[in-house]
Amino acid sequence: MVDQLPNLGREAEMLEAMGMTSIDDLFTDIPEHVRRSEPLDLPPPQTEEEILREARMLLGMNISVDSRPSFLGAGLYSNYVPTMVPMLATRGEFLTAYTPYQPEVSQGMLQAMWEFQTMVSELVGLPVSNVSMYDASTAAAEALTCAVRVHGRKASQKSTIYVSELIPPHRMSVIHNYTQGAEIVVKTLPHDDDGMIDLTAVGAAEGACAVYVEQPNSFGLLDPGVCELKPMIGENTALIVGVQPVSLGLVAPPGDYGADIVVGEGQPFGIGPTAGGPIYGLFACSEAYIRQMPGRIVGLSKDSDGERAFTLTLSTREQHIRRHRATSNICSNETLIALMGAMHMALLGPGGLEKLAQRNAGACSATKSALVALDGVELVHPNGYHFNEFAIRLPRPAADLLSFLDDECDITGGLDLSQWWPERENELLVCATDQIDIEDIEELAEGIQDWLEGYE
Amino acid sequence: MSDLFAFNGAQDAGYAQPDPISDEFTIPAALQRSKLPRWPRASEPEIVRHYTWLSTRSHGIDSGFYPLGSCTMKHNPRVNERIVQMPGMNDLHALSPASHLQGMMAIFHEMQEMLAHCAGMDTVTLQPVAGAQGEFTAMRCVQEYHRDIGQENRDKVIVPDSAHGTNPASAAMCGYEIIEIPSLDNGQLDLDALRAVVGDDTAAMMITNPSTLGLFEPEIAEAAEIVHEAGGQMYYDGANFNAILGKTNPGLMGFDAVHYNLHKTFSQPHGGGGPGAGPIGVKSHLSDYLPSPLVIAEEDEEGETWFDWYEPPKTIGKVQQWHGNSGATVRAWAFYRRYGRDLEKMSEHAVLNANYLRHRIMNPSKEVRDSIHAMPCDGAPADVVKHEFTLSMTPVKDATGVTGKDIAKRLLDFGYMAPTLYFPMIVPECLMFEPTETESKEAIDQFADDFLHILTEDPELVKTAPHDTPVKRVDEVWAARNLILRHPCDDE
Repeated sequence: MVDQLPNLGREAEMLEAMGMTSIDDLFTDIPEHVRRSEPLDLPPPQTEEEILREARMLLGMNISVDSRPSFLGAGLYSNYVPTMVPMLATRGEFLTAYTPYQPEVSQGMLQAMWEFQTMVSELVGLPVSNVSMYDASTAAAEALTCAVRVHGRKASQKSTIYVSELIPPHRMSVIHNYTQGAEIVVKTLPHDDDGMIDLTAVGAAEGACAVYVEQPNSFGLLDPGVCELKPMIGENTALIVGVQPVSLGLVAPPGDYGADIVVGEGQPFGIGPTAGGPIYGLFACSEAYIRQMPGRIVGLSKDSDGERAFTLTLSTREQHIRRHRATSNICSNETLIALMGAMHMALLGPGGLEKLAQRNAGACSATKSALVALDGVELVHPNGYHFNEFAIRLPRPAADLLSFLDDECDITGGLDLSQWWPERENELLVCATDQIDIEDIEELAEGIQDWLEGYE
Repeated sequence: MSDLFAFNGAQDAGYAQPDPISDEFTIPAALQRSKLPRWPRASEPEIVRHYTWLSTRSHGIDSGFYPLGSCTMKHNPRVNERIVQMPGMNDLHALSPASHLQGMMAIFHEMQEMLAHCAGMDTVTLQPVAGAQGEFTAMRCVQEYHRDIGQENRDKVIVPDSAHGTNPASAAMCGYEIIEIPSLDNGQLDLDALRAVVGDDTAAMMITNPSTLGLFEPEIAEAAEIVHEAGGQMYYDGANFNAILGKTNPGLMGFDAVHYNLHKTFSQPHGGGGPGAGPIGVKSHLSDYLPSPLVIAEEDEEGETWFDWYEPPKTIGKVQQWHGNSGATVRAWAFYRRYGRDLEKMSEHAVLNANYLRHRIMNPSKEVRDSIHAMPCDGAPADVVKHEFTLSMTPVKDATGVTGKDIAKRLLDFGYMAPTLYFPMIVPECLMFEPTETESKEAIDQFADDFLHILTEDPELVKTAPHDTPVKRVDEVWAARNLILRHPCDDE
């Protein structure tokens, strides 16, 4: 018996008021030839208790990254979210609201998003942030189409963008899907053997609409060369930088070195990796891009008494007004997760952010030291500065090591890089966040040692 | 008035963290941050009060009746929130091996099957994370299908003028040219207008049914026939799916592809703008193009079910980098299990409530009628509506100068969220009401009485509404002219 329908058993009373006798009278407008002949072939309704029991059983079959030492990152990071965050964000007034179309009764969420915009703006060093994109990949893709709209007319390389060759293939796929409709030509920027962007090749991007690079990149490498890109590509080419936001507690904000648009995965602030969704994409830009940017944005205003008030603004870019001429089709975004992110950032404060970044950098460094000490393990980029992640080269396929660690040691060892690039069969991407402690690292190093010895 | 950036405590005022396990890391000199962001410096009690105060200045379906047409604001069962915060969900990594994700994949598989069954489709992907992204994904599949069969010349997408704005925006992002066709005077799809524009350049028609007027399109099967005869595909915008579960389905109507809004029909809470989830279902000829991966069920040697990832052979790739909004999928699973086969009853009650509300508003007692300045009129004529309906406030505006927007704002004073305003654009001074199955008869009666009362009020009182909300009417033009998009974070 369904317990979610307040008018169950009262249908007759309501129908009678309308001069009807049966529920079927409400569906007479559906023509016979498109009606279902059979009822839905689904199980009977369950109670809350039964559903919870089954959910517990099913989710209990999963092996989570918090239940064991886990060195898997690759764009989705284990983190600690203070208890306050989910408790406050799931207050019904936030959780069960729609997009704040009526600002007079939505001041709370609007102010929270305006504050979110401010904290993201401060974090990345650009004046404008929107209220969120779906994830880092769609944020990067829509940053690129935004840049083409802004620079397309003046560009000598019409509709052409340059993307770092090291961005993960799933992100490249999202970029392809989002850019092919506008007939955007996607070219790649090469990296050298140290994993650094090849500055001698950047000249090719002159006159293009945009350059997209990541800092740190997919190998966790911090690349000082990225700071030199803006003067090389000039004012008429957008520099778009993808970031791991936690790193910005130690690393210079891209706005400081000339980035025009910054995107990234907001997830480490506010929510666990949650199987990859819902998470939220960061999107911040300089003023020149405001009118072509995607997504919702909150502005300060005043009410009819002259009191401070907030409202969604610049809606004329959006699909519900501009329809097929809109800057993006995005409507639903990830506001609630951005709210969780805002709460987490607010509770960290500047000192907490710096410490969180130090914890991540320290864990990465300690893990790296422990693994390179093993005979048979070498760094893929020995000259690099790493944040969160680094790649190691093994004598045998990484997939084999991962199975060994999983089966024999209850450790999730990282990402087998051949999943992204088939030629990197013996390479493993290892991630250590603030959730990794010394014992985890010792267990990993011992596990790898055992695996290496197993083949001697 | 609580200002987050007024918290100016000690540098390390926030929550305490363990110390770094090593300080032997190096940030290259050129990349070192010189100045930390000017985030608030506050302790947990201060932050808790700040956000609690903000929550009191927000309005959700938990706060009161939320008849926002087209958005299907239904109750969000709380156990669903409890489930997604349990271990084994919040702390899963998308790239973990399938052996670590069997429980989640079992839920995914069940949802793929359930959604396909309810819509009369063959294959479902859960990857798109919003309705608009579902539209975009499906149109990308249609595009690749046409390229594959040598019909890349099909570069036009037809949408009715009553369509949601996302339909033309999503198709345009794929590179399609948009052909908008006018509706008939009664708001229905105009088959002659459709016939006039279909051709061998038609890629697809995108339409929602019931329409955005809340009316079932009686000639939908004929429309599908016209588009199919021209070689085009039929796309079903599932925003209004809540009206028809168990009664009909897009497959029976002749559609080839459909998106579902899990945040509407299946109650993923909308969180002030998102997250949503926009899975799509397709007929078999489009299955090979779906984003990767899907979940498939296999049997191992012992006859145990094993779930694995599957990459469709001609996949368009990824539209979101992981597996979509998995948390939304799990909430929707818990919601669907609550109803099971009685999802049909859910739709019946959504339609019952919409018709009852329309009846209560449009048939006031003689006493009330006599005190009303002017009655609204139907957005479109109809004996019955589906899950939502439109009313035009034009007669009210003509009689008193009170606009649809004024009435919407005045409703806020009574503790209601306003209905959807000025959409669809084909209805002048439009208000669109969708009570959903969540509202009791008493709540609907009270809302109708309050709505009718507003029509009796002094027009000046209504034109200057709202009066009893946290702020008075907000100047949206000022916001757009001045573009103050962040706090200045002044150091003093």
